Amino acid sequence: MYRNYAKQSVFSKDGSLAVRLASMDTSKPSINAEDSVVSDETLLIAVGNSQDIGAFNQLFERFAKKIFALGMKLTRNEQLANDLIQEALLNVWQKAPLYDMDKGSAKGWIFTLSRNRCFDMLRKQKRQPNCISADDIWPLESGAEPAMVHEDIGGQQVELSLIEGYFDQLSDPQRAVVEQIYIKDRTHEEAAAYLQIPLGTLKSRLRLGVAKLRNLIGVDQ
Amino acid sequence: MNTEVKLHPSSELLNQFVQGELAAGKSIVVSAHMELCESCSAKAKELQALAVSSWVDPSSAMQSDQTSEADYVNMVAGIVTSSQIKSAPIEDLVEVDIDVLDHSIKLPKVLAKAASQGLKWKKVAGGISEAQLFIDNETQCEFIYMAPGGKVPVHTHQGSETTLVLEGSFEDELGEYKTSDFIIRDAQHNHQPHSKEGCLCFSVLDSPLQFTEGLARLMNPLNRYKFKKATSG
Repeated sequence: MYRNYAKQSVFSKDGSLAVRLASMDTSKPSINAEDSVVSDETLLIAVGNSQDIGAFNQLFERFAKKIFALGMKLTRNEQLANDLIQEALLNVWQKAPLYDMDKGSAKGWIFTLSRNRCFDMLRKQKRQPNCISADDIWPLESGAEPAMVHEDIGGQQVELSLIEGYFDQLSDPQRAVVEQIYIKDRTHEEAAAYLQIPLGTLKSRLRLGVAKLRNLIGVDQ
Repeated sequence: MNTEVKLHPSSELLNQFVQGELAAGKSIVVSAHMELCESCSAKAKELQALAVSSWVDPSSAMQSDQTSEADYVNMVAGIVTSSQIKSAPIEDLVEVDIDVLDHSIKLPKVLAKAASQGLKWKKVAGGISEAQLFIDNETQCEFIYMAPGGKVPVHTHQGSETTLVLEGSFEDELGEYKTSDFIIRDAQHNHQPHSKEGCLCFSVLDSPLQFTEGLARLMNPLNRYKFKKATSG
């Protein structure tokens, strides 16, 4: 599943950064991780949509030290700050598909994940009860609300021409997403990859777009 | 959304909140207020954006003198073998019974979650009931219900008491407080909260209450014991 485009990065002991390419398979181009003008968002989308290890490495290089500094500030404990790098960036990898670019910047999203994991780590270390977690206190603004996205807008016999008539009332981003799913019949993952947006953003735009169409057509929710 | 909220957390407190610097009890009460208050929610977003800018700013003070000696290569190699989450878990709707009320009430999500393991209400003096939650080692967190006409004995605080009104209203010497109001009282204030119509609150103490008048003073050792117990689970 993963592209053979693994890039290995080494922070040397004095904190400077050495980078080397481990292996390369150019059959599927990855994000050029050397390119510092590539935005955090582009990297995060590549991680979420295609498990791009090169892109993840680049995010790691950009954020590991900052996460360590945040951990030192909040825990004053080097071991915990190091653990936080692992915890936070594992979370970034795992939740990358949930990132919603319509709700905020990638760095803000990574900050939120890092602060939240730090908060939970500290509570665990102090043996405080897990009745509450950081994600309850600072809810992630994730676009993915699967229960609200229905696959069968057409289930209720509505004339396609009627729907098309309302299409231009959607915003461009919403129309693009609705077209991908309901006209081109792509899966959520395929559509997100095609449009180069995070899965989380695709789902939230789809939800809003479909709700608007239903409203215009007069279909009950 | 309540539009008549009068009392809000200070910018300083909101900033500590977004930076993750508050103890869990205080974070919970700020988070619950934000769910009820659009303006604080917007303000916290701005403060977080500022916190993020200074976090990524290479010249910011938030750079550690120490550098990490973690093994990054192995870290990344381990991380990328784990699977990704494609859909956010469907939020479980947490229903909470508030036994002291004769009707149901919708709590802010974070409080509903914290209370989801069940609340044990205890009657204390003056028409007051309370249900404690063990949240952290630094704060005594509890739901407080004042029955109509209920009165808390006159007291002060060594540290501070943060109270969020969830339903109804109460008064003290300094004013009247309604749903969503966020009130902080500290050692400067000697107050006696009372409620005409009844009031449900969530309160976070960072040190024991100290009753200052009459027989209630005899309960001060008990307050200290309660605080100790509430902060050690």
